[in-house]
Amino acid sequence: MPGNIIEVKDLRKTYPGNVEAVRGVSFHVKEGQFYGFLGPNGAGKTTTMNMLVNLVKRTSGEIIIDGQHLDQHARDIYAKIGFAMQEIGLDETATAREMLQLHGRLYHLPKERIEEQITKLLKLVELEKVADRYTSTYSGGMRRRFDLALSLIHEPKVLFLDEPTQGLDPHARQLIWNHLRDLNEKGMTIFLTTHFMDEAEALCDHIAIMDKGQIVTQGSVEELVTKHQAKNLEDVFLKTTGSNLGDEEVNLKAADPYARSRM
Amino acid sequence: MTTFFSDWYYLSIRSIKQIWRPLLALIPSLFIPLFFFVVNSASLSAFSKVEGFPEGISYKDFIAPVALFTAIFFSAGNAGIELVQDISSGYFKKLIIMPISRLTIILGRLTEVAFQAVFQGLIVLVLLLAVGVHIKTGILGTIAIFALLMLFAMAWSCVSMIFALRTQNARLVQSMFVLVFPLLYLTTSQAPKNLLPPVFAAIAEKNPVTYIIEGVRALVLYDWSHPAVWQGFVIALILFVVLVALALNSFQKALK
Repeated sequence: MPGNIIEVKDLRKTYPGNVEAVRGVSFHVKEGQFYGFLGPNGAGKTTTMNMLVNLVKRTSGEIIIDGQHLDQHARDIYAKIGFAMQEIGLDETATAREMLQLHGRLYHLPKERIEEQITKLLKLVELEKVADRYTSTYSGGMRRRFDLALSLIHEPKVLFLDEPTQGLDPHARQLIWNHLRDLNEKGMTIFLTTHFMDEAEALCDHIAIMDKGQIVTQGSVEELVTKHQAKNLEDVFLKTTGSNLGDEEVNLKAADPYARSRM
Repeated sequence: MTTFFSDWYYLSIRSIKQIWRPLLALIPSLFIPLFFFVVNSASLSAFSKVEGFPEGISYKDFIAPVALFTAIFFSAGNAGIELVQDISSGYFKKLIIMPISRLTIILGRLTEVAFQAVFQGLIVLVLLLAVGVHIKTGILGTIAIFALLMLFAMAWSCVSMIFALRTQNARLVQSMFVLVFPLLYLTTSQAPKNLLPPVFAAIAEKNPVTYIIEGVRALVLYDWSHPAVWQGFVIALILFVVLVALALNSFQKALK
């Protein structure tokens, strides 16, 4: 019986202006699980994920990853997690190969291992031929695939993915799905937020639906459908959140220190 | 500890690569000091005959250290702009959730600034030597000049990084450029203190940039025993330590 690799207790985040983005969220993710985190825009999914990886300071609550408290062992935890963000952050002045090399070094991998990983990952995301091009020349889909490769350079135990297939064409989306399934089958725990119900149904073995800063229901797709007497996951979503995907636009970005207009 | 230095090294290499791409971006910060040097040394050469001006020193030699200083002063602010670019692109987030010390991220940028200061300073130095400027303290003195310039460039780049982390706005960081002029001109850069109007002389005495320029000037025009040499190093060192600490503090605050 696998143990919990992520434990979250009574997590809360209140942004300045008393905006309660996350209101007492508790859950756990088992080792090797493919955990889906769903919810309408502004439900608090990204804030929750950012708190899990320590990019946003929580107001209160406890986060334990792989048996270690995030507050006391942040750097140990960083070595075990990978994160592909919704906002793809690449160094535009570097080539894909240079970025992978730098990340491999900063994760303190041996030189030979870095080269093996680069070859494997570039093949995985079908970017071998453009590996020596500056990332600024990549299309949106290429950037997203490369971002996934970058988050995998150190073979993390837990992979956090925030809307990993947003903006991808069906081929690229299928490619990413296959890789994620493969990684999960090999034992990697994956924590995914997505807007796509088909994505969650296809990939996740456990789903939590969040609305207005709280988890409103969770379980496997079958359990949720039975529990809410729904036709499918989308129906569960509509019944539990009362909104259609993408309809709600609670703009929490103003409260996010990284989301301000900077240029 | 080993990983601290290797992380610092790899982040420095990344930052240094950034300043070469594009190389043309380095030209303005070289053009401005050389332009002022040529214009000022030609138009104000008679100033050296004014009573109270250091004896036996031409105006060209007097302002040569300012050209060296200005070359690094203008470019040191780029560290903040590059940091804002990392923040805007989201790459900054990737860096801060890596198992590395956050100090290495700052030190990586500072190493780039030091590297750039040496590179640009060398170009200006070669041109100054070509027009007949002579460095009295010789090769060792030249090394000391570069050490002093690097120290100040790194300290000043911390100001731009603090600004970048606090505002996270590229335009605001770029606007920091305007600070360079009062800081540069309210000093003894253009005239010795005894020839400045009393108000300017009083401001220059409080302006730390004065001590850096005077330190470089002493190494170019006089000798090692001149008090301005050690004063320049002490002020640069204090600025460096204080501003790195403040940059690290801003770093922690900007994260969450």
